Amino acid sequence: MSEKFGVKVEDIFNTMQERFRPEGAAGVDASFGYDIPGRGKWRLTVKDGTMKIEQADDLSGCVAVTRADPDTFVGVNIGKVDGTAAFTSGKISVEGDVGAVSTTFKLFKRFTPPKKELTVGEYILDMFGTLEARFQPQAAEGLDITIGYDIGGREGGRWTAKIKDGKCTVKEGLALSPNLTMIVKAKDWVDLMLGKVDAMTLLSTGRAKVEGDMNLAVKLGELFAKYKAPGEEAEEEQELLVLKKVISVGQRFATGPVMGKYLNGLKEKKILANKCPECGRTQVPPREICAVCRVRCEEWVEVGPKGNVRLVDTAYYASPDPLTGETRETPYGLCYILLDGCKGQEVFAHFIRDDQLDRIEMGWNEKKGTIVRPVWAEKRTGRVSDIKYFEIDE
Amino acid sequence: MGNRVAICAMAQIKNEPNIWYQRFQGMLLDCLEPILQQTGVTFDMDKGIRNIVTCSDDVFDARTISDDGMTDVVGAHYRGEEKIAQDGLNGLGYAMACILSGHDEVVLFMGHCKESQPESRNMCTNLAYDPFFCRPVGMDFLNVNAFQARAYMDKAGLTDEHLAEVVVRSRKNAAKNPYARENKEATKEDVLNSPFLSDPIRELHAYPVTDWAAGMLLCCEERAREFTDYPVWITGFGNCMDRYFVGDRDLTSNFSLKKACEKAYGMAGIKDPKRDFDIVELNDAYAHQLPMLAEGIGLAGEGQGGKWIESGGMDKHHVNLSGGMLNGNPIMLGGIARAVEGYLQLRGEAGERQVDGARRALAHGTTGGACQHQTILILEK
Amino acid sequence: MAHRKKNRNVGVIGVGQTKHSSHREDVTQPEMVHEAVREALEDAGLTMKDVDCIVHGNMELFEMIHQPDLWHELGTGAYGKNAFRLTTGGTTGATLFCAGDNLVASGMYDVALVIGFEKLQEGHTTGGITNMADPLWFRSLQTGALTGTCAYDVIQEFGEERATRAAMMYRIIMDQNACLNPKAHRAFGLEWDQMDHLIKTSAKLIGELKIIDMCSQSDGACAVIMACEEKAKALSDKPVWVRDHITVHREETINILGYDQATKEKMTHRFAAEQLFKRNGITNPVEYFDVFEMYDPSSWWGVDWMREFFLLEGDEHLKLVEEKEIAIEGKIPVNPSGGVIASNPIGATALVRPAEACLQVRGDAGAHQIPRPVNHALASGFGGTLWTVLILLEKELGW
Repeated sequence: MSEKFGVKVEDIFNTMQERFRPEGAAGVDASFGYDIPGRGKWRLTVKDGTMKIEQADDLSGCVAVTRADPDTFVGVNIGKVDGTAAFTSGKISVEGDVGAVSTTFKLFKRFTPPKKELTVGEYILDMFGTLEARFQPQAAEGLDITIGYDIGGREGGRWTAKIKDGKCTVKEGLALSPNLTMIVKAKDWVDLMLGKVDAMTLLSTGRAKVEGDMNLAVKLGELFAKYKAPGEEAEEEQELLVLKKVISVGQRFATGPVMGKYLNGLKEKKILANKCPECGRTQVPPREICAVCRVRCEEWVEVGPKGNVRLVDTAYYASPDPLTGETRETPYGLCYILLDGCKGQEVFAHFIRDDQLDRIEMGWNEKKGTIVRPVWAEKRTGRVSDIKYFEIDE
Repeated sequence: MGNRVAICAMAQIKNEPNIWYQRFQGMLLDCLEPILQQTGVTFDMDKGIRNIVTCSDDVFDARTISDDGMTDVVGAHYRGEEKIAQDGLNGLGYAMACILSGHDEVVLFMGHCKESQPESRNMCTNLAYDPFFCRPVGMDFLNVNAFQARAYMDKAGLTDEHLAEVVVRSRKNAAKNPYARENKEATKEDVLNSPFLSDPIRELHAYPVTDWAAGMLLCCEERAREFTDYPVWITGFGNCMDRYFVGDRDLTSNFSLKKACEKAYGMAGIKDPKRDFDIVELNDAYAHQLPMLAEGIGLAGEGQGGKWIESGGMDKHHVNLSGGMLNGNPIMLGGIARAVEGYLQLRGEAGERQVDGARRALAHGTTGGACQHQTILILEK
Repeated sequence: MAHRKKNRNVGVIGVGQTKHSSHREDVTQPEMVHEAVREALEDAGLTMKDVDCIVHGNMELFEMIHQPDLWHELGTGAYGKNAFRLTTGGTTGATLFCAGDNLVASGMYDVALVIGFEKLQEGHTTGGITNMADPLWFRSLQTGALTGTCAYDVIQEFGEERATRAAMMYRIIMDQNACLNPKAHRAFGLEWDQMDHLIKTSAKLIGELKIIDMCSQSDGACAVIMACEEKAKALSDKPVWVRDHITVHREETINILGYDQATKEKMTHRFAAEQLFKRNGITNPVEYFDVFEMYDPSSWWGVDWMREFFLLEGDEHLKLVEEKEIAIEGKIPVNPSGGVIASNPIGATALVRPAEACLQVRGDAGAHQIPRPVNHALASGFGGTLWTVLILLEKELGW
């Protein structure tokens, strides 16, 4: 049963092995499930740079199961349906690790539906059947000629094209004295029209002969538009070139005395904030000025290290680093912590220990959230990562 | 609503080769505080600053929305802020429009740039070119200026000696400017022997890598005296864009400069640039540009740049007494440095460089390779 | 509060947009910009000869082009003209609009062509946005523009069921509008009966922010032509007048979360609305305005910010959604264009808001036209660390 695009769901899965790109499988070690209602379920297992695809009723153990209706599934795989739009509007859904599914995109070359192949005889009939339609009058100004086609072999035939007053009529049979006659076997003619062989090769090997006005032979390419096999029209759009480049300009960011002091404090396991002389609010990390009061902040105070979690932003989708392509493992929690010594909205942002994410309770007004403490890196160099993450203070 | 706007105060840090010890925020705060002190202006929504015009470049800062990190130090918390992403001189013109339109009475302008932060400013300006042809061929604001230099030297009979004279003079003038980048004084031989960066531009013909920040307070005519006894008036502004593709341009024609002048001179009623300006500050990133731009604004005849130098035109017209861009200002802020010199001269605060009785100054800025986009600002006492 | 009289009035006389899309591999940046410029010129019945100033902007770190207006001269027509470039992140488009207004109102220019664009597919959007954070600290923590904090706040206040349903209703209304807008990038054809299913199954990005809630990433350009009153009246039958605008930025951090109600900051949206409405004598914004093109980066923010922009209290804004008053036929249509969730070519997005509002005032919005006279329009821009630009447009002078 073919779907809307003339391609079967099974075709997609059956060609996965031949479309597989082992280089895209580096570091991938998981099973991915596909549930296409009405067609079946498949399990894709990727490990050690190899893959296995099999129909399976049981998709347990798959890191993610992708569900889509047959038309959408095929459409996305052949590039006719926008995957992101389908996913956003719910036409494709994923149960499990959504991020993991994106690793499957690099695993396969795009599925291209196989070209329909006609027999030589069918091609010949189609080529000459479309000759009149492919005539380009703008190249025939002032011409009054006949061109004979003597196509040999069982599948061949004879045709004459008469061009006069900017019009072209094609009839079966060879005219008596055409200005130009092409003599070639059917198979060679088909290969020539499909671009599988060039005219020079045919002529120099004697497989094709041209009689009559040689200048006209040269003009043939202009007189008729290129032959397109049935179904090939869609691919005849201009090839759009895309230039891919990663741009990177090295930077040397200054830390300045304010941020610099803070970063140095981290090396000594101290979290330093500065304080506004007018409104008293603390800023951590510190900034040169209090934006509200517009005055320079020069008073320092050590805060934390413990605090209570006011909010956790749990990220299920991690965007890949543009330079390295790496993604943080999801889910992870970016949390806003009110460190001891800070008040109100003076929160500090950092990560929560991954395995404790679901145990964090968020604060609200006077109610304190989970008390957390920083876990320091062994080697500290004055960076964000000097604090590895925050963990529950227990 | 009137046709002129006042600059009531200005503050700058010193131009330096490498401000590794400060972030942009620190640099700008060092400019904000003096302005607030000088004028007593506040950020009150009724009577004070409620709009700020900034200038910086995301590529050079390596920060998307490069004004985002500066909001705090320019006082833009719960105020308006609009970033000009071209040479800062356009920011002064834009601030002028904000005031003349009636939308604002007082506008703060703050600009910053560090050329020392990226590994190469040429890599950054290479990114101004289209990715398909000009960029891979290696165009950047140095090479393209070298094309211009070669073309102009041919047109105006400009020699290596002329260029050396421009550089030597620039450094001598800058030595009298306490905020100018401190460079070794160059001798004519130093310049003539300086290695080529991009023929015919030699190392000493090119403005050195510089970091800087500066700010100004602009105000409507009616309220200028609230903030200063010595306002400097902006009476004319114009800018203009030339073609992008170097091959489509006549690099020495000063096309965009002449058009910018048309607009600015029209606004300010300038009839004869040779006589009307006491101070001329041209944004000469490369030495050949000084005489070329002098032609463009009407100080020298067409193709007469070399002769103009020989006849002492630079000193006669008080051109680039600050040392010019050539001595060192960062890209994005060159035009502001030109306006700063004009401002100081008109207020009688130019110290050793002071031209007595200076009444009218021209400040010029450029954006893009070989001055594709140029800006003119006219200041009056 | 003190506000000076505008030097002279400014009218919008031409609007152009590309069809916003995820794949514009068929055009280079200048070509894409040119499409919008041509459409605006045709709309206004002008040629480049009539324009004396170009205002251009985008968020350059997406495409990594330094000073793109230099290259784009090929498509903007800036050759030989005065040209300005302003960039303020997400609010860029609205800032450009305000700048055009300032430049023309000042008397320095008569006709300004304002252009915003973005070709997000040419860059790495999340990387570009993450680079907005301080390189020494927050850049390693931030996840692009995604945060679930707004959803959290709304849910805390109104309870999960009511809040999630309101956000999804908002989303569906926006999508239905987008389906009527041929320029919109994403129009899924969402139906009301999908609501529960979407709420349950749409993948979560961060917190309660689901993929269906989040704005798109688009390639697109928008161009608007504005002229001084004299020329606007001469050149156009229906200029749309720019009455006023305000820009409100905030400090560098995003610690405006609501978990400490006593110290929660006033949103810039509310501050902007208060200032703008007060100085223009508008006391009941929901009654006064006939349309609001709001920059809504997600359905949660769309719902939440209506309370701020319309100076409402309590659950009045939720009711506007629940009673579908924000739909095109409703009392106060919001984003008849489909809004930012449908199309988001970032440098252009905030310009598309006043552009679409102008089309509504003129009665030229086509299938997504509001079926009642639109005399007073509001448009907003958003970006940075919760910055707001708010623009007031009028059909008639003499306010």
